Amino acid sequence: MKSLRTSLLLWTALLAGTAVAADRIPHFDGKPDFSGIWQTTSAADFDLQPHSTRKDAPPGVGIVAGNVIPYLPTALEQKKKNFAARAQEDPRLKCWTLGTPRGIYYPEPFQIFQRGEDLTVVFEFGHSVRTIHTNGTEHPTEKGEFWLGDSRGHWEGDTLVVDVTDFEDETWLDRAGDFHSTDMHVIERWKFLDANTIDYQATIEDPQVFSRPWDIEVFLYRHREKDFQLIENYCFTLDYDKYYPVPAAQ
Amino acid sequence: MSSITSQHGAGRSRLAAGALVLIQAFGMSQFASAQEAPGQAAAPVSAPPAAAAQATPNIANPGIRWEKSFPPVTAGKWTGHRLPDGQPDIQGDWSNSIGNHDNFTDPQGGTPGDPVRRKRPLGTRAERAPSRVSDPADGQVPFQDWARAKQQEFATGFWNATKQEYIEPLARCAPAGIPKSFMWHGYEIRQFPGYVVFLFNSGTRIVHLDGKAHLPDNIKLWNGDSRGHWEGNTLVVEVTNNNAKARFARTGEFASENVRVEERYIFDNAGKRFNYVATFTDPTVYTRPWTATIPMRRYVAGDAQDGWHYEVPLANHKGKELVADHVERPCVENNGPFGQVVGAAQ
Repeated sequence: MKSLRTSLLLWTALLAGTAVAADRIPHFDGKPDFSGIWQTTSAADFDLQPHSTRKDAPPGVGIVAGNVIPYLPTALEQKKKNFAARAQEDPRLKCWTLGTPRGIYYPEPFQIFQRGEDLTVVFEFGHSVRTIHTNGTEHPTEKGEFWLGDSRGHWEGDTLVVDVTDFEDETWLDRAGDFHSTDMHVIERWKFLDANTIDYQATIEDPQVFSRPWDIEVFLYRHREKDFQLIENYCFTLDYDKYYPVPAAQ
Repeated sequence: MSSITSQHGAGRSRLAAGALVLIQAFGMSQFASAQEAPGQAAAPVSAPPAAAAQATPNIANPGIRWEKSFPPVTAGKWTGHRLPDGQPDIQGDWSNSIGNHDNFTDPQGGTPGDPVRRKRPLGTRAERAPSRVSDPADGQVPFQDWARAKQQEFATGFWNATKQEYIEPLARCAPAGIPKSFMWHGYEIRQFPGYVVFLFNSGTRIVHLDGKAHLPDNIKLWNGDSRGHWEGNTLVVEVTNNNAKARFARTGEFASENVRVEERYIFDNAGKRFNYVATFTDPTVYTRPWTATIPMRRYVAGDAQDGWHYEVPLANHKGKELVADHVERPCVENNGPFGQVVGAAQ
């Protein structure tokens, strides 16, 4: 009897262990380990807000909580101008660094390399690099203007919370012309939904552009294809590549 | 444009399209000045006035930064600190110790045809650092005849850019490529299980340590495709898939798309230096394989920022220890090249 009970207990533990293992999120240094190559499947980059199909965008339910970005009236006019000129004015067309948070939900992979003191985020698009500092340091005392902002993170349980400030104002938030000023402030929350899915949430505030803070949420999926890797995409060189033919004998 | 000052003062600022031309000219003018011997006036080079005014390099103590010779580093065992995954820990900030990319085979000799008159003769060749070409012994890249002519054409065209192709791609913000990235400002190495990552002033390289095959041949990249492994104190990296668009220096040395580069990064166990020793094999351009050697030294938090080798500010934090703060190094599409095309652009 005793051995049967022990055996049952063992089996129960084993089964439970298996179930836990399937959902177990990877850890590094006692923290969730986001190392890997990630990409959204959403249509967020085409338009953060809900939209029906367009010539230049598949339809999407949007990723904005409450569906509407709360623009100030003058900023809304600018957004409309941006939207009308999107085929020419979207900075992505020049392959400019996408910015934060746009790089995260842009439909091209990015890779996270994680150490105790920071996370290095390399975006395939433009091969730009964002460092999320997790070494207890704070934003610089002197305000800077960065394409990707200045990112300082800390852990709240299994959630990585990142405060991002010091932006420049030449990036858009999507292809629909949603924009921000240098006063944008982004607070990100990164957490695993399961070992291969990140639930990415961000609060965006900018008193020059929006009437109140607003939230987005998008899932990021791990690339698990065999031998998948980032391929450097310095697309900003494409316009002048033609000036540099491979030297060859005449 | 006032933001340029803070870009180089504190290493943080906006870097918008059109601004990079100033930064690159600025960086070069600092370098050209710092390259001179102590006591010599800073050469203005071709930097715009605003940038030139900021170019007040610290040339009081050039020390190891502009050394004329350097010690070999012997390949062998690694006895220094290791990372949890077993890699030798060589993370941090590094820069080459002999010169920039003005001249590949005469690192302290300036670019031939440079219109800026130097106030002091360069002296004899023996008074300057040796060629980066360590094999063959004559210090020259063993170009085939046609390739030598092409290289000379680039070198001549650099200061008289009558064709778009004479403008170095780096001046347009392209990645500096291999090996020029190692002669262009300081850079950072970060290590992760399975990877060594180089963050250059212009461009980023991800070296894969997992032994998987190279990318298919028809993918061509500015920085190539890098597969590496550790042999004791030496990181060995094989690079293929090069797009052959970058030049090695302003003197126009180059490879073709067929080049295979075997890089050996040989680290001293004290962690202060390494030598970059790379063998270039490319039968379409060279008469034989040849080897480049570029010496490097480490910089650490608290070292003086010099606007070129080490541009890393200190982090803002409550503790007392010095923490290096690595901020973004963006390079965006930019059509204000350092070397303007003269006459009618082609």
